Amino acid sequence: MKRKFKIFRYNPEKDKRPYYKEYEIEIGEGWTVLDAINHIHWYVDGTLAFRRACRSEICGSCAMRINGKNRLACKTQIKTLGKGTIKIEPLPGLPIIKDMVVDLDPFFRNLEKVKPYFIKYSPLPEKEQLQTPQEREIINEAAMCILCGACTTSCPSFWANPDYLGPAALLKAYRFIFDSRDEGGKERLEIINDRNGLWRCHAIFNCTEACPKNINITYYIKKLQNLAVNNQF
Amino acid sequence: MLKPKWFYPSYKKDVGEWAWILHRLGGLALIFYLFLHIFVTNRLAAGPEAFNATMKALSTPVFKFLEWGLWGVILFHAFNGIRLVLVDFAGASKYQKLLFWIAFVLFLALWIPAAWKFFL
Repeated sequence: MKRKFKIFRYNPEKDKRPYYKEYEIEIGEGWTVLDAINHIHWYVDGTLAFRRACRSEICGSCAMRINGKNRLACKTQIKTLGKGTIKIEPLPGLPIIKDMVVDLDPFFRNLEKVKPYFIKYSPLPEKEQLQTPQEREIINEAAMCILCGACTTSCPSFWANPDYLGPAALLKAYRFIFDSRDEGGKERLEIINDRNGLWRCHAIFNCTEACPKNINITYYIKKLQNLAVNNQF
Repeated sequence: MLKPKWFYPSYKKDVGEWAWILHRLGGLALIFYLFLHIFVTNRLAAGPEAFNATMKALSTPVFKFLEWGLWGVILFHAFNGIRLVLVDFAGASKYQKLLFWIAFVLFLALWIPAAWKFFL
């Protein structure tokens, strides 16, 4: 079966403006969008630049905008995209280096701000620290994040203000603040309880729609907002 | 490097983004109406004739249509506002789509039939 792909192209060394280029290729049964752009890259046009690694929905490298919505190219079956041309663009809201390759620095800088690591001030226990299944349940979904960036770059608040921490960083903050073993909750809450933090979430739900791991990110941001409010009053 | 844009109109909008856009635009419209309302009430200070003249200008079909539109904006803003309160404080994020459609149906049910009251 033949399918048309309309792909965003921009080479900073040659092009003044970005443009879209169409490719028509023969696709096989069960192909994902990543299979198709790999095919284009290998056999049709070697100048096409994009990131990919694991091709199994766990590394988060191949997040891009497919038919208007942020998705993982390796998770998106071409069959599910209906008929017609498939439009592929880089993630929105980030500087574009070349074609689908975006500069993820703003994304990871925001992530770093929430201290995305385990903090412990009391002496470390001799053995590993256990959690009850109930304690784990609270952070179970939030810990599934693969940091692909699909959520943060789908957020209109982040487009308008790249200093906004964004859903991914806030979800990571939730994952540690609500972890029964972590002791950095207070300092993290102080960081995210900021004009460029928690309160720029306006419940638009683009992050939840975009998340390839189906994490209800807005739900967790609201939990953090509730925590911040309850701590203050 | 190509600079990012501040908004991407071509991003695929689900109900959440539509609700946000309508809620924000409706909010601006309501603020504009508030100033208009203060201006109109203020015409009282200019005496009964001036106020009556203003009121007459406001009973033209154009303003009746705008008033009906205002009623719609108020309804949508109110019902979606309740949805947002539930999302914010009641952990209703999982049901946001259902809540949006409930709000939307309530908005239409009270808005469209109200045209009869405004125009007849």
